[in-house]
Amino acid sequence: MLKNHLKIAWRNIKKDKLFTIIKIGGFSIGIAACLLIALFINNELSYDDHYQKKDRIFRVVMQGTMDGEVLKSVHFQRLFAETLESNYPEIEKAGKINTSELFGAGKRALRIQGSSQNMLDDGFVFADQRAVEILELDFLEGNRDEVFKNPSSIILTEEKAQRYFPNGDALGKTLFLDDNTDKPYTITGIVKNNPAIKSHFDFDFLLVIEDKNTSWTTTNYFTYVLVDENTNIPALEEKMGAILEDYFIPAQMERGMGEDFMEVLKTLEYKLQPIGDIHLKSDIKMGDGLKHGDIRFVWLFAAIAGFVLLLAVINFINLSTAKSANRAKEVGLRKTVGAFKGNLISQFLTESIIYSFISFFIGVLLAWLLLPNFNSIADKSIVMPWASWWFLPIIVVSTLVIGLFAGLYPAFYLSAFKPVNVLKGNLSIGSKSGSLRSGLVVFQFTTSVVLIIGTLIIYKQMNFILDKKLGYDKEQVLVVQGANLLNNRAQAFKERLLGLSEVKEVSISDYLPVEGTKRNGNSFRKSASGTEERSVPAQIWRVDYDYINTLGLQMKSGRGFSKEFANDSSAIVINTSMAKKLGLDNPLGRQINNGQDWTIIGVLEDFHFKNLKEDIEPLTLVLGNAPSMVSVKLANGVSDGAIEKIKGIWNDFVPNQTFEFTFLDQEYAQMHDDVKRMGKIFNSFTMFAILVACLGLFALSAFLVEQRKKEISIRLVLGAPFKSIYQLLTLDFMKLILLSILIAVPVGWYMMNRWLEDFAYKINIGWDIFLMAGFIALLVALLTISYQSISAALLKPLKNLRAE
Amino acid sequence: MLLQLKNIFKWVNSGGQRIFLLKDINLEVEEGEFISVMGPSGSGKSTLLNVIGMLDTFDEGEYNFLDESVHTLKEKHRSNLYKEYIGFVFQSYHLLDDLTVQENLEMPLLYKKFKGSERKAMVADMLDRFNIVGKKDLFPAQLSGGQQQLVGVARALIANPKLILADEPTGNLNSQQSEEIMQLFKKLNKEEGVTIIQVTHSEKNAAYGSRIINLLDGRKV
Repeated sequence: MLKNHLKIAWRNIKKDKLFTIIKIGGFSIGIAACLLIALFINNELSYDDHYQKKDRIFRVVMQGTMDGEVLKSVHFQRLFAETLESNYPEIEKAGKINTSELFGAGKRALRIQGSSQNMLDDGFVFADQRAVEILELDFLEGNRDEVFKNPSSIILTEEKAQRYFPNGDALGKTLFLDDNTDKPYTITGIVKNNPAIKSHFDFDFLLVIEDKNTSWTTTNYFTYVLVDENTNIPALEEKMGAILEDYFIPAQMERGMGEDFMEVLKTLEYKLQPIGDIHLKSDIKMGDGLKHGDIRFVWLFAAIAGFVLLLAVINFINLSTAKSANRAKEVGLRKTVGAFKGNLISQFLTESIIYSFISFFIGVLLAWLLLPNFNSIADKSIVMPWASWWFLPIIVVSTLVIGLFAGLYPAFYLSAFKPVNVLKGNLSIGSKSGSLRSGLVVFQFTTSVVLIIGTLIIYKQMNFILDKKLGYDKEQVLVVQGANLLNNRAQAFKERLLGLSEVKEVSISDYLPVEGTKRNGNSFRKSASGTEERSVPAQIWRVDYDYINTLGLQMKSGRGFSKEFANDSSAIVINTSMAKKLGLDNPLGRQINNGQDWTIIGVLEDFHFKNLKEDIEPLTLVLGNAPSMVSVKLANGVSDGAIEKIKGIWNDFVPNQTFEFTFLDQEYAQMHDDVKRMGKIFNSFTMFAILVACLGLFALSAFLVEQRKKEISIRLVLGAPFKSIYQLLTLDFMKLILLSILIAVPVGWYMMNRWLEDFAYKINIGWDIFLMAGFIALLVALLTISYQSISAALLKPLKNLRAE
Repeated sequence: MLLQLKNIFKWVNSGGQRIFLLKDINLEVEEGEFISVMGPSGSGKSTLLNVIGMLDTFDEGEYNFLDESVHTLKEKHRSNLYKEYIGFVFQSYHLLDDLTVQENLEMPLLYKKFKGSERKAMVADMLDRFNIVGKKDLFPAQLSGGQQQLVGVARALIANPKLILADEPTGNLNSQQSEEIMQLFKKLNKEEGVTIIQVTHSEKNAAYGSRIINLLDGRKV
């Protein structure tokens, strides 16, 4: 019996090639999309999943409220970890890491002892011995229990070790960072590469923390704890509050914080964030600067995957029932010669499972082919888990489940035909389920239109971000990296550059309005008023005299730094937000204090120095030395010639270090890569969805034309013009598409409004987007249907009538 | 007695009027009979055949088939009954286009739980009897109308039914092909004792039967 079912199914698959291709094509695309997203989700969910003691590892978070706003921080004092470990017996270990560029994490120039070549590399992070233990780093060489026992220790990943020491003799070798021969680092460990392991914090080089700071007011370290088994976490969090009482608050008092600040201090509490939650469930307010996923996107993508698959299944159902007239005779006959309903149901289910099986085969193949593209869009390095024990079973089970799911309705529908109706020649059965099919078409197009709206809005926001007047000029600014190797010759380098006709301005500062450059936290008070004044948290950036001109910052009032004023070393330039926060209407000449007095000489127009998701915060500029980046404003646009000349000068100064540079506008765009990625992902899946929906629509219109051939022929014989036939066949579908657009608009509006809420600076969703989305959907649908409608209107009527 | 119809009525309601398709039909059929049903178009011949074949229901009256009262049976039992005892032959053959001759013959057996080897033997026997061994791997579209109907008859016979219902079996055939099919029916009836009820327009074909029933507007005349 099964053999017979298989045979019939196979012949049916072969018979109507167009329908088969569309059924299987749509199905395969849906499966490929679904599989890719499933792999993506699996990847996102698998972060920090590898620790043996996963359930006992936490990151400490401090939270409180100020003016009704929740504050969160994951930065703690150096002494915090030690204090936790010694004061709380249930905390087995507490360790810390530091990923801040301010302290030398991120990009460093590295030189192997005995070589003269400096190489710029990224991925430097600081950690202590305890962190290495808690985070269960897996060592290829070196002993985990004592890698960081000594100062000046450095750990490399296997990949970096192989790159810099191809002979495999990295352990014990000496490295210099930033060409500083006074502080040689010894390689004490090499960590295994394991692509299957994903962690919220990534590193290529791990440096031991050598900070001796005992202050309870400077907070620079992420702190991780390993607690004993069966520890009551809420109780421990509660108990940890004592640290605030005993150390943190007294230290703040000593610093002279006002009463207002005490109010904030009272709301503070410690929370323990399970390590598995860090990647997907961290709040942007925590400001840990790590690359996070977002659990909401995971759900969103899961929903999209589900929808795309559902669209494919719907297509299958739609096409199967649409073609039912062709199968009706078979059903009727089989019943008259003795088939039971059950026989027929199992026959049709077998058929749909075969479709599902073929589609899965093609779909998995398609996903595999698309995976590299998908990886580049999603910024992932997912591999097809062919070898994973669960992969094959999941695919097989999904094949069966989806095959059954897609086949169930057609099976029951088809097997219910009464033989007498069929044999009498009442073969109009195919049109009976017209309303169901219409419903399914509406569903498909609604989904497509929602996705189109999403894509359009994301792209519009992306353009908004890229075109936004940022308050500084990011164009034609080349940033020379690793300039700290110039040491005391930075100024001379700058002079040489200024000698080039291609160079307009040059500024030396590590603080640039893009991510990945230096940041800090400070608090200022008006120095004239007493300690009751609340302090204003603000960045303090060390810049040189030409910074403001190089970046094209606009002065609102006052002036920038100038060599003509001898006492500019205690001068400060603030932005407008800072002036507002300080409550100064006329800030020029006023003094502010962050432990040192500064005189305000100018107020800048606000400019965006953070991601547009965030508001512009208070910012101050002072003269100072931050020499690892040199920004060069080019005069006549970016040209290879200009870059070559700058490179030539660099090589004169630092011959043993390759010339590395970036462009400010590119860095800015990179900062918003997540939006761009989101846009691309949305775009891809919109394409998938539209393609599947159109395949379905195409087949459905083909079917309807087929069904109405006789009617069309009669109309043509009676003199109906081309136009009326075309309209006859097109209008019904167009009504469905219009209905879909009507449903999709509010859904898309709601969804994308939620997405835009993340941005402090965003576009308004206007009618133009909905019009555009509707227009696209209508156009695509019209083109799809027209092929069939036009060919029907050009029918040779006699041929069809004679056949009757 | 094979079957008995008593006062069978079948009607449809159309525009407040009741239109009778079958009106007070009484019929007794013995095993081994060969009956021809005649009458003009729309006289109810096919309806009667469908009622006898239990493919269609009726509104009033009694129908007994092999001592089972069909009118009181549930749908499922009824279909079991016809699947067991009745074979159908259609004017337009109704072979499945996607199946070869051999597979078309095998189809009824699939649903009767015959083993693969038994099915093979039965199909081979039937091919042999109808002299179509050479055509077994052809598809219906590759056969002439007469050959297709031959397969249709063979398929109706393969599960050894007691009764064959044939709705204008020669309606689409030319005279020579008609002749062959009718000869076949006659032979089946005479030599193997298969009961046959056929609907036909042709006096000549009707004459092959042992009894003729004439219908006019749903009534026996």
